[in-house]
Amino acid sequence: MANENQSATAQQSDTDQLISTDPGGGGLSEQSDNQTVDSETESVVQSQNLDVYYGDTQALQDITIEIPSNRVTAMIGPSGCGKSTFLRCINRMNDLVDIARVEGDLYFHGQNVYDDYVDPVALRRRIGMVFQHPNPFPKSIYDNVAYGLRIQGNTENLDAKVEQSLKRAALWDEVKDRLDDSALDLSGGQQQRLCIARAIAVDPEVILMDEPASALDPIATSQIEDLIEELAEEYTVVIVTHNMQQAARISDQTAVFLTGGELVEFDDTDKIFENPESQRVEDYITGKFG
Amino acid sequence: MATPTSSETTFESVSRTKGAVFEYLTLGASLFGLVALGVLLLYVFWDAFGLATAEIAWYGALVICVVAPTLGFVAYARRNTVAGEVALELVSTAMGGLLAGFGVIAVIEVIAGPAVWFAYFLTVVAPLVGLFLYNRARPEVTWVGLAMLGVLIAGPIIGTLTLDTLTQIESLIGGPFVYLLSLVLPAAVIARYVIDDYLELGNGNFAAGLVVAVAFFAVPLIDTLPLVSRSVWLIFLSTLVTPLGIVAWKNLAAPENRVGFAGPGIFIGGVGLLLIVTDALGLSGPTPWFDWQYLTSNPSRFADQAGLYSAIIGSVFIIVLVALITLALGVGAAIFLEEYAPDSGPGAAIARLIRINISNLAGVPSVVYGILGLAVFANLVGLGFGTVITAALTLSLLILPIVIISAREAIRAVPDSIRNASYGMGATKWQTTRNIVLPRAIPGILTGTILALGRAIGETAPLIMIGVATTKFSPPSGLFSKTTAMPMQIFAWSSYPSAEFQHGVVAAGVVTLLVVLLTMNSIAILLRNKFETEEL
Repeated sequence: MANENQSATAQQSDTDQLISTDPGGGGLSEQSDNQTVDSETESVVQSQNLDVYYGDTQALQDITIEIPSNRVTAMIGPSGCGKSTFLRCINRMNDLVDIARVEGDLYFHGQNVYDDYVDPVALRRRIGMVFQHPNPFPKSIYDNVAYGLRIQGNTENLDAKVEQSLKRAALWDEVKDRLDDSALDLSGGQQQRLCIARAIAVDPEVILMDEPASALDPIATSQIEDLIEELAEEYTVVIVTHNMQQAARISDQTAVFLTGGELVEFDDTDKIFENPESQRVEDYITGKFG
Repeated sequence: MATPTSSETTFESVSRTKGAVFEYLTLGASLFGLVALGVLLLYVFWDAFGLATAEIAWYGALVICVVAPTLGFVAYARRNTVAGEVALELVSTAMGGLLAGFGVIAVIEVIAGPAVWFAYFLTVVAPLVGLFLYNRARPEVTWVGLAMLGVLIAGPIIGTLTLDTLTQIESLIGGPFVYLLSLVLPAAVIARYVIDDYLELGNGNFAAGLVVAVAFFAVPLIDTLPLVSRSVWLIFLSTLVTPLGIVAWKNLAAPENRVGFAGPGIFIGGVGLLLIVTDALGLSGPTPWFDWQYLTSNPSRFADQAGLYSAIIGSVFIIVLVALITLALGVGAAIFLEEYAPDSGPGAAIARLIRINISNLAGVPSVVYGILGLAVFANLVGLGFGTVITAALTLSLLILPIVIISAREAIRAVPDSIRNASYGMGATKWQTTRNIVLPRAIPGILTGTILALGRAIGETAPLIMIGVATTKFSPPSGLFSKTTAMPMQIFAWSSYPSAEFQHGVVAAGVVTLLVVLLTMNSIAILLRNKFETEEL
């Protein structure tokens, strides 16, 4: 596998896909393709020539990307461009969709997650997910956060772990007196932070977020955004968003998917928003379509 | 200028004739149904309670002593809602406790017998409850579910194997001691938990001690009166007195709730007053067919002595078995079809075929299931004609499609978003089903099952086909004992020539059946409301 680009400056084009650039280098990339790998950080998730089909419809075309660790990587693009599909490929949630078919390779720490012997359940325990609409379980706040720990049989110091997760999700102060209340009594923004607390309680390496703020009001959205930036210190965050300003605010890297399920450009967020390579990306960013 | 000129803007009127006709037609249809049903019920109740036999003056006394004061309280409770709620809570607790007590008596004391109950209580019920409580206290322990499954499988086997030994032990310690152990002590523990942790009144230990003290000292004192046996007193202590005591205590503790006691007080006082007044004035009340004697006597060819006892016990026995069988099979099938059956490939075709067939089976006439039961259970397997087990299996087949369909609906109503949340956390299918889907679906499953059981308890045609007796002079004593059932007995009485049977005994039987049915339906509604409001 051609992904060990540890050298800080070497321009590697031993494959036609992978280019390693210095982050300070101002986003130079001779090749028109779409990868930038931050040399300081190791990549956690990478895909190679990934195609996804729903029945006969192709949802993703030949996606090759490296997602660096401990950064916020945003995926933007118009509706139906496949950005959520890609996110759901990373933790194999697409397995639950009967008609979905995945071709190509997707590596997590160098391990192809679509190999036969990879257990998707074990994979999902290391890659957490936060969904578009807050979906707490109809249980108490405490039981929501403890759920992942309990199903993994990891129940030592449960109280402490629940408290720590709620604190990291910036929710503790609001709910500490009513941990036994139903999670459904919380407001939408609180529910979404609870879902984040639930995801980080099991200490995953990667957190996937599928438009986590799209169903929330502006104040709740900004709370979630602050939280995402903090989470990136410890976790690798991959966030799908509709909202370009949000991607610009919180992400380090941005991938732009455009209609037809192709990854058009992937680079540092600043570069994508200020000086994109592709005319189509520029049109999309400046609001000419999408 | 903004002066409206009526000549230029006119609105044509839009015809609503068809809509109005339709509205009144639908109103007429619903009124017709309600009135027809109401007249029928009134007729039956009139006969069953022998209302024609009472003097007019007795009704006057009834209205003055009981009806008017109670209605007065109801009117007051409409303004003071707290009083109404407290009164309703007291009355429903009393009614529920009474019904639960009768249910326990029918199932444990009469059908199973204290000895058999003792055996299976020790080997199945007590370990299950113990494991459940242990899991509540320490939710992190993961082997509890497996242990419960083990108890469910091994418990009945061990219970059956050791039945003789345990029966001997039971005969040494006696029935009342069994109830003390299996009902009164759990009731005391629950009272302690409810009072301390749930209602947070304190004094939970005192309440639990009181329950046990009553069992040890008051019950032996009371049952010197030759009314009912000591066992029955202990059963009602657990199902009626303890819950009623807790509710009363809770409401007495809150001064603004105390006014609620006026409702039941007025009613009970009114009934007492009515008895005194009618006795003093020599007014004769109605002589109902539907009375204590009717519920506790076996059938007789004399209308005065006829009773539904053996049929009630037979029906309850059958329905308990049907509930166990259909819950296990129906929920299992529904979970498989909704959660595990493949959505594509050859498996999906088979699953689809099964689903379509189950929907069709729900519409098959019950007499067809009767023939099936006769051929398979009675003849082929040899479970006997008209036995409890044959009747239970046949009725289970009859309602299984309905149970499966309603359980599937309940499982499908669980939103996919929380399923995905669970899978996204790295839960397996079993963990998701067990922790997320089933808790959410259980109220719907129970509601559908209880309504289906209501249909089973009123079925006659399949019972005729498998040879259930119309009249039997003693209740069934075991799974393979011949039985009768309420609708069969009612049907038999309806062909008796005497008017007393046709207009008295039959009506009382219909009322009994209706009471049982309405009770089951109210339990279904209560369960649904409880789970819907809690949603936890």
